[in-house]
Amino acid sequence: MNTIMRALLATTAFVGVFGVVTGYAQAQSIAIGIGSEPSTLDPQLRDDGGERQVNDNIYEALLARTPQGDIVPGLALDLPTQIDDTTWEFALREGISFHNGEPFNADAVVASIERAVDPENASEQLAYFGTVTGAEKVDDFTVRVFTDGPDPALPSRMYWMKMVPPVHAAEGDIAEEPVGTGPYKFVSWDRGSTITLEANEDYWDGAPDIEDVTIRFIVEPGTRLSGLMAGELDVIVYLLPEFAASVPQHAVVGGLETSVIILATDNDATSDPRVRQALNYAIDRQTLADSLFLGFADVAKGQLIHPEAFGYNTSLESYPYDPERARELIAEAGAEGTTIELMGTSGRWLKDRELVEAIGAYWSEIGLNVDVQIEEFSAYLRRLFDMNTRPDAYFVLNSNELLDADREMSFAYEAGLGGASNSDADLTAMIVEARSEADLERRAELYDEITTMVHEQAYDVPLFNHQDIYGMSERMIWQPRTDAKLIINEMSVNQ
Amino acid sequence: MSAIVSSKPRNPTRLAVLRGLLGELWHDKAGFVGFVVILLIVAMALLAPWIAPHDPAAQNVIARLRPPAWLPNGDWNHIFGTDHLGRDVLSRVIWGARSTLLIGASVVLFSGTIGVIVGLCAGYAGGRVDSVLMRIVDIQVSFPGILMILLIVSVLGPSTLTMIIVLSITNWMIYARQVRSIVMSVRQVPYVEAAEVMGCPPRRIIFRHILPNLITPLLTVGILEFTNIVLAEAAVSFLGLGVQPPATSWGLDVASGRDYIFMAWWLITFPGLGIVLTVLSINLFANWVRVTTDPQEREKRFAYSKTARRMMRAASEKAVTQ
Repeated sequence: MNTIMRALLATTAFVGVFGVVTGYAQAQSIAIGIGSEPSTLDPQLRDDGGERQVNDNIYEALLARTPQGDIVPGLALDLPTQIDDTTWEFALREGISFHNGEPFNADAVVASIERAVDPENASEQLAYFGTVTGAEKVDDFTVRVFTDGPDPALPSRMYWMKMVPPVHAAEGDIAEEPVGTGPYKFVSWDRGSTITLEANEDYWDGAPDIEDVTIRFIVEPGTRLSGLMAGELDVIVYLLPEFAASVPQHAVVGGLETSVIILATDNDATSDPRVRQALNYAIDRQTLADSLFLGFADVAKGQLIHPEAFGYNTSLESYPYDPERARELIAEAGAEGTTIELMGTSGRWLKDRELVEAIGAYWSEIGLNVDVQIEEFSAYLRRLFDMNTRPDAYFVLNSNELLDADREMSFAYEAGLGGASNSDADLTAMIVEARSEADLERRAELYDEITTMVHEQAYDVPLFNHQDIYGMSERMIWQPRTDAKLIINEMSVNQ
Repeated sequence: MSAIVSSKPRNPTRLAVLRGLLGELWHDKAGFVGFVVILLIVAMALLAPWIAPHDPAAQNVIARLRPPAWLPNGDWNHIFGTDHLGRDVLSRVIWGARSTLLIGASVVLFSGTIGVIVGLCAGYAGGRVDSVLMRIVDIQVSFPGILMILLIVSVLGPSTLTMIIVLSITNWMIYARQVRSIVMSVRQVPYVEAAEVMGCPPRRIIFRHILPNLITPLLTVGILEFTNIVLAEAAVSFLGLGVQPPATSWGLDVASGRDYIFMAWWLITFPGLGIVLTVLSINLFANWVRVTTDPQEREKRFAYSKTARRMMRAASEKAVTQ
C-alpha cells in the first residue's frame, strides 16, 4: 500500500515537473511593443530611441549601469583608472567574441571609439562623446582613452558608447545587420512591422532566460494598449497614466526625462525678466501633475537638471502658482496683450500636445496673447536648432542619459549650441569652466551658481520630472530601469 | 441648370423655378432631410459665437474627462462632457464645424476646378497635350502626399489657408482622370460630332455640350472626396501641419481624443458624429441633385410618378365602380 502510494506520488511529481518544464520551455518567447521604428540599426550613428531599444540588447559598452543607475563594469573588467587629467585606462574582459566570431579585444575597442568620434561619420551621438579625442591600444586587453580636457563625466560617456566588430563595421552592412557582443542576436527586420531577436547561447555572462523576442513598432498608445490587453504583447512602453490601473501589470520608474519651456532672452516678447518670471508664476504645475499625469510626474524643483544627476541644485524651489503676481509683473513690464509664440510638437512625447495647449491657456489667463504653434516633429527640430530665428518659447523634454548636469547645460543654456535661446557670454563661460573642473566639490558649486542664476532670471520654465510607465502582461517579471533601457536579459516570465 | 430653364416653353421667373425645385425636393424625402441638416450645420458653424455655451478653449484641468450630462457624474453645464483638458466638448463641436466645413468645401471646390480643367483639356485635345497632362497626373499621384505636404508647409508655415492650398494640390488628380475618360467617350457621340461639323468653337463644345455630362459623376467623386479631405485634414492637423490651437476642427478633436477611447468615448464620438452627419446629409442631398441634373434620370422620375398617379387613379376608379 505504502509503496504503491509512493510510486503514485513519484509519478505525479514527475509528470508535474515535466509539465512545468515543457510549459516553461514554450513560454520562452515574448513580444514587446515600442513607440517608433529604428531609423537604422547602426549603433553609433543616430540619436534615436527606437534604435537604442533594439540595440541595447545586441551591443554592449565598456561600462554599464545597474537598474538603479550606478555605473558598473560592462565589457571592461573594472571601472577605468585615470592616468592623468585627459587619459583614462580600461582593462578589458578576455575571451569574449562578437556574434559573427570576431574577437573582442583592444583593437576592437580602439576601432569602435575612433569610428564613433570620427567627424566624417557625423554621428548624432557626438553630443554624448564630444570630449573624446581618440583611443590607443596598450596591450591586447588594455586600452587608453583620451579627452580634449579634464572630463569627469567620461565614465558616463563610455557607458553610452557601443562596441562594434571592426571588420563588420568597415565591410559589412552594419545598418541592416547588427552584430554585437550582447545577450541577444539579431535575426530579422521586417520593415514597418517587427524586429526579431534570439538568445545568444554563448553570452559571456550566461545565456538569457527568454529565447525569442519579437519587437513590434506601434506608434499609437491606444493600439499598443489594445495589443497588451489582447495578449499579443508582453511589454509596452509609454503607457498612458489613465490606463495604469486597467492593464494586467504596470511598472513605474522615475525616468530621466524633464519637461521644460526654453525662453528666448533676446526676443522682444520675452527679453524682460519680469515677463519671464510671470510665465513661471502663471502655471499651476501641481494641478497639471495630478490631473493630466495622474501623479506620474513630479513638479521640477526650479531647474532642468535631473534630480539624480551630478550638479542638481538642492536649494531651489519651483515658482509657485500665483496668477495675481504674474499679472502684476506683466503690468509692471507693460506687456499686457503681448503676443508670445509657444512652439511644441505632437506625438513625440507622452501628452506633449496636451501639455503645450494647457500651458498656452494658462498664459492666456494672465493677459498675454499666446500663439501656439504645434509643429510636425522634423519641422519642430529644424526650428529648435535654428540659431537665427528663436521661437519666443518652445517646449521640449530633455533626457539626461549621462546623469551629469553638463548634458542639460550644453543642450539648453550654452549660447549657440543645441537648443539654447540666449546669448549670455558669462553663462557660457561658467558652463565651459564647470565642464572641465576636475575638483568635484568646486564643480558642484559652479553648477549651483549657474542653476540659481538661470532660475532667478527665468531663462526657462521648468515643468516636470516625468516617470516612465510600462504595461506588462500577467506572466512578466521585470523591474524597469532608471535609465529607461529595455534590457530583455533582465526580464523573465513565470508560468 | 440654365439648360433646364431654357428648355421649357414658357420663361418662368426665378422664384417660380426655385419653388418648383423645392417642390421636387419635398417629394424626395431623404434628399429634403439631407438638405435641412446641411442648412442646420452651416447655420451652427456661422452662429458659433452665439450658440456655443462655453469658450471652446477655456480649460479646467481639474474637471477633465467628465462624462456627458446624462451619465452618472455628468453635469448639465457640459452636456457632451469635457475633454482631456477639461474643455467643453459641445462648444468644441460647434466651433470645430467652422474649420471642417471651410476646409472640406474649399478643397473640394479648388481641387475639383483644377482637376476638371486639366481633364477637359487632356480629353478634348488628346494627342500630345493629353500625354503631357496625364504624365503630370501620374507623377503627382506617385509622389508621396505627406512629403508634398511637408514641403509646402515648411515654405508657407502651418495655418488653415496653407491646409486648403496643400490639400487642393495633393487631391486634384482623381478629378482629372475621371473627367478625361468621360470627355474621351462623350467626344464620340453624334451630337458632339454634329456640333463640330457645324463649326462650333471648341469652347462652346466643351462648356455647352460636354461639361453637362460631367455633373453627375463629379458630384459623386466630390462627395467621396469631401470625406477623405475631412479625415486627411485631421491627420495632418494632428501632426501639427494644419489647424493650430486654440482653433480646432472635428477631425483634429477625433485625432487627439483617440488615445482615450477606452475610457472617454465622448471625446471622439461627438465630433465623429458631426462628420458622419455632414457626409450622410450631403450624400442624400447630392443624390437628389444628381437625379435632378441628369435629363435621362429626370425622364425616368417623371415616368415613375406618372405611372404611380395613373395606377392610383385606376385603383380609386375601381373602388368607385365597385
